[in-house]
Formats: sequence, structure tokens, C-alpha cells
Amino acid sequence: MQHFVLEQALNFLIQTGSIDTTPLDSKIIQFSLQDLPLDVNFICTNERIFVVSDTAKSADVDIELKSSVFFALFKGEDLTELLRQDKIKIHGDVKTAQLLVDMLEAVDIDLEEALSQYTGDIVAHEVGKIAKKIKQTAQKSNNIFDTLKDSLGDLIINPSVSKLHKNKHH
Amino acid sequence: MENTTHFGFKNVATKDKQNLVKGVFDSVASNYDLMNDVLSFGMHRLWKRYTIASSNVKTGDKVLDIAGGTGDLAIEFRKKVGESGQVILSDINAAMLGEGRKNLINKGVFGVEFVQLNAQYLPFEDNTFDCISIAFGLRNVTNKDQALSEMNRILKPGGCLLILEFSKTDSELLEKFYDFYSFNVMPKLGGIIADDEESYQYLAESIRKHPDQETLKDMVLDAGFGFCEYHNLSGGIVALHKGIKV
Repeated sequence: MQHFVLEQALNFLIQTGSIDTTPLDSKIIQFSLQDLPLDVNFICTNERIFVVSDTAKSADVDIELKSSVFFALFKGEDLTELLRQDKIKIHGDVKTAQLLVDMLEAVDIDLEEALSQYTGDIVAHEVGKIAKKIKQTAQKSNNIFDTLKDSLGDLIINPSVSKLHKNKHH
Repeated sequence: MENTTHFGFKNVATKDKQNLVKGVFDSVASNYDLMNDVLSFGMHRLWKRYTIASSNVKTGDKVLDIAGGTGDLAIEFRKKVGESGQVILSDINAAMLGEGRKNLINKGVFGVEFVQLNAQYLPFEDNTFDCISIAFGLRNVTNKDQALSEMNRILKPGGCLLILEFSKTDSELLEKFYDFYSFNVMPKLGGIIADDEESYQYLAESIRKHPDQETLKDMVLDAGFGFCEYHNLSGGIVALHKGIKV
């Protein structure tokens, strides 16, 4: 689900002209999260970005880091400083990595929350999110039924990612 | 060995399958939307909404919806591509395409093109489309490998293929309920509402004969796509496969 959220956010920014993917065209950038059982791959092609968990192709740039460092990138943490502190390892072109990191910084989503399904109870997490959403909307609107409908729809559809395991390449 | 394939749980001559499937869809076309709503409890609308959201289709894109039937996806793609884009709603079945045309007119959606075609022989030039979708249609295609290969051919590099299809649930409990529902309730409802129990028996059987998530993923990759990933929806009853051409 977190891949979906991230992909949606990035492509929204591309559509609105907030970010430009031209310098990254045809590049595959992989984030290998050392402490979570998943990778995050960014495929930049056809003026859009696809975010997938595994690829059959080898990445142009492989970035090894812990999940906390990955989240920090979204909050504007400096890549050079993280490299200097050995919190991140880049295999491949650093400039390409920097271009993507600059884009991630523009994404205004709480990825940590989206990723919490890997570390917490997914049902509690989803129900908690729905309760939060209902509470927020109820304060603004009288139409609680629309909110419930949307929220339950989100839960029932329940997309789950196909691959949670690393390194299953064809 | 004679060249055979499955039609539901039956083995039939490969050359006959297309006509048999045509018979089913000729029969269900006029009640297709109603039956989808009843049989899926309206869930098909959520699955399709997720498919559209996953497409990353944007203004100016060219989109081909294969086996598009009554046009649910085409309507949403039309909104996304805008005036500068192009959406083609296609189906092998003339009755389904006719329902699609009626549906779009009734909903005031214009600018969608209609093409009757066989997914195994797509009448388009190489590298034409930004996105191709096929929702609840691939399982009825006789030669799926050939169809996937054709889709790969006419997608632009970086183009995206979306396959929304019934699949295999990984929950034993859900599977038991789903089996009971599919083989005991679905055909009966088809008989009561659409006066066609047999066609809905075929639909239930065809779902069981369709490749599971991992097999379909491998088929997409074998067809030449550089990437393929799937997402299970509703516990795997349905899966969305997303292939990207490189």
C-alpha cells in the first residue's frame, strides 16, 4: 500500500509540474531497506514514476539504508550529510540518487504511517486510521454517512502488496 | 493430441472456445452491469476505482481498454486524458460493445472510440498506447500468452498494462465461503435475475481455471514486460497485475 501512496503522490507532483522527471528518464533507483522485508524501487519512464517492490531488472542506483533514514529523506535530511555519517550507502551514480531524493522531499505524505503495517497490527492500524478520519470529518461536516462509506470502502478494498520478500529476482 | 483448451471445467477444441465465450456474453450483455453489482455486492466498482488510481494515466495519454464491456473504466479514463488524449473502448463481443456505447451515451460521455477486436490480434501499430487495461476479460481469452505479447507490442516504452481479474484467495475460510457462493449462489442468482443459470455457472468455473497471481505475473514477464507486480484485493478474490514495458 505504501508503494501505491508514494507513487500517487509523486505522479501528482509530476502532473502539476511541481517536479520534473526528465533528468531521471529510463533510470531505476532502488532503496534497499536494511531493517524491513521490502525494497522500494523507483522506475522513471514515460514522464511518470512507478514505485514497485521488486524488479526483474537491475537498478542503475542502489541505495542501502535503514527505514528511519528513508523516512528522514522525506523530511529534508541532507543526503551528503547522511553519506558522511555512513547512514547511507550508494552503489551507482550519486547525482542520480540526489535528483530522486530532491523529489522525495517534495512529497507531503506521512510515509512512516503508511509503512507501519509492516511493523504493527494491520487491522488495528486501518481501524485506527478510519476512526481518525471519521473524527476529523465529523468535526467539519454533518454527513457522517459519506465519511463512513468512503472509509469502509478503503478498508474493504484492502490492497496488499504482492512481494514482501527481498531479492526474488527472475 | 488434439488442440484443446478449457471452457469453464470442460475441455473443448481451441478453435471453438471463442464462439462459446461469445455465446455467454451475448446472453449476459443486457444484464451485465446489474449482475456485476448484485454478484459482487458492488465491490467491482471499488476494484475498478483502484485500477484507475493505479494507472497513472494523465492528460494527453492514449489508453486502450480491452474487453471493456459496458465502459466503466473507459468513462474514468476519458476524464483523465482530457480533450488532448484518446480512449478506445474495445471488446470482441458486439453485444457488449453495444451496451458500452449505450451506457456512455446515457452518462453523457463522448469522445470515446469503439473498436470490436480480438485481444490476440490487436490492430494497432507498435508503441502506440500509454496504458492498456483489461478488466475481467483475460480469463476468457483463448491464447493469453499471445494476447499479452500483443499488448506489449502496442504499448509505448514505459507504458503500463493493468490486468484486473479474479484470482486465488490465500485465506482458507474465505476460499470455502467463496466456493460455496460461486457454485451454489451465483448461478442461481443468474437464473433468477438474468434467466441464465448456465452462463453464470461458466463464469464461476472460468475463474477457477484462470492462472493464479504468481503464474500470471510470470506470463506477463514472459510476454516481454520489464516489470510486473500484483496487488491482491479483497483477500485475493481479485488481483490487479501491473506490467510496465521497458
